[in-house]
Amino acid sequence: MSYLSQIYAIVWKDLLLELRTRERIVAMLAFAVLAGVLFNYSLDRTIVRPQDVAAGLVWMTIVFGGLLGIGRTFHLEAQDGAFQGVLTSPAPKDAVFLGKTAANFVLLYIVALLVVAVFMLFFNLELGSNPGLLALTLALGALGFVALGTLFSAVSSGTHMGETLLPILIFPLLVPMIIYGVSATARLLADRPVSEIAGNLRMLGAFATLGVGAGAVLFRYVVEE
Amino acid sequence: MTIEKLRRWGLALASLGVLGILVLHALVFFWVPTEASQGIIYAIVYVHAPSAWVAFLAFGIVALASALYLWLGDEKVDQAAVCAAEGGMIFTTVVLLTGPLWGKIAWGTYWTWEPRLTLTLLLWFIYLGYFLVRSSTENPERGKRFAAVVGIVGALDIPLIHLSVLWFRSLHPGPVVMKPEGATMDPRMLTTLMLGLLSFTLLFFGVFALRYALETATRAAAVRARAART
Repeated sequence: MSYLSQIYAIVWKDLLLELRTRERIVAMLAFAVLAGVLFNYSLDRTIVRPQDVAAGLVWMTIVFGGLLGIGRTFHLEAQDGAFQGVLTSPAPKDAVFLGKTAANFVLLYIVALLVVAVFMLFFNLELGSNPGLLALTLALGALGFVALGTLFSAVSSGTHMGETLLPILIFPLLVPMIIYGVSATARLLADRPVSEIAGNLRMLGAFATLGVGAGAVLFRYVVEE
Repeated sequence: MTIEKLRRWGLALASLGVLGILVLHALVFFWVPTEASQGIIYAIVYVHAPSAWVAFLAFGIVALASALYLWLGDEKVDQAAVCAAEGGMIFTTVVLLTGPLWGKIAWGTYWTWEPRLTLTLLLWFIYLGYFLVRSSTENPERGKRFAAVVGIVGALDIPLIHLSVLWFRSLHPGPVVMKPEGATMDPRMLTTLMLGLLSFTLLFFGVFALRYALETATRAAAVRARAART
């Protein structure tokens, strides 16, 4: 089996599992919509205009909702030693990591797009004239997030603190994603010229590359017994 | 090196460091000129900047030792990593305590989202995560590997965090020593600052060696205890 088809097998397995249990995606999607409802009541619209804070709220919802699902990446397979089976398969550990990350990315990206849609609906926001670039911004940010999330989810599920440890490990590392992601999103929603966000996109790309690269190299040391 | 020798070296370095810090305080109080625009409050820089230097130096050691540990699997480098991390966390705490004290008077606020401040706070939390993963696994070997992964990813992410928070906002006083046109400081201030850097570095390595000796003894004792039980 070639490297790519090994990754593909992992992605397919994870997505099929998700399709059948629908555990994580339902939790994340419900969280996103409900967070939107709570945000609505936490903002006094006579003081704050929703469009001024929307970009930040979108990203924070993605991060918090994403943690719910990503934190449980290895949860289902922890039972009955299923993950040991995955590890003893001939697929190299970095292929397992890339497969898991790709599957998580698909889930989180669906959530991210839904979060934006929910906020558009709840707060009557305009999408701006560049929905494609907005989708790209979300994709780059989400990729970096799921890469670090998948790696540290493997770490935290190996400890007895479990998922409670994940935010402590990952939030300090997510600062670049939040800063560049929020500012790019805010500018896109405000219809600013595209040239203003080129730098942000490059930095988000660098962040995603770092996450995926570091994860692929270090994952084997995390899952080793 | 034997534990005994390490302890002697550690004690010597730490004593030199403490002595240097005492001299540093004497210089700060009686010798160095008062900074023109900020006045007496500026003196905190002689403690603040050296602590920050040590905090980041220690994290460099943590990252390097972590990578070596994953590569070689050698107990000794893991030991070095954890000892450096403990020292680093202490000095990071010193930076976070002295910074706001100065900031309250110079900036008028204890906290501001200034890049170097933010980066140091995040560094503190990365250290915290490093210790938490270490201590929360049933198998200590796994804890060591987990901690090493946290150390490496943290070190890789720090440049990006730095760039991003820098890009977000800058209020911190600009560099006064490491500039292309040379230091723009009274030579006496520069001497004092350099003495601070030297003393804090000596103190760090002294404490590091002492801690390393202690860790070696602890681990040896644990091995003996396990052998006695079986």
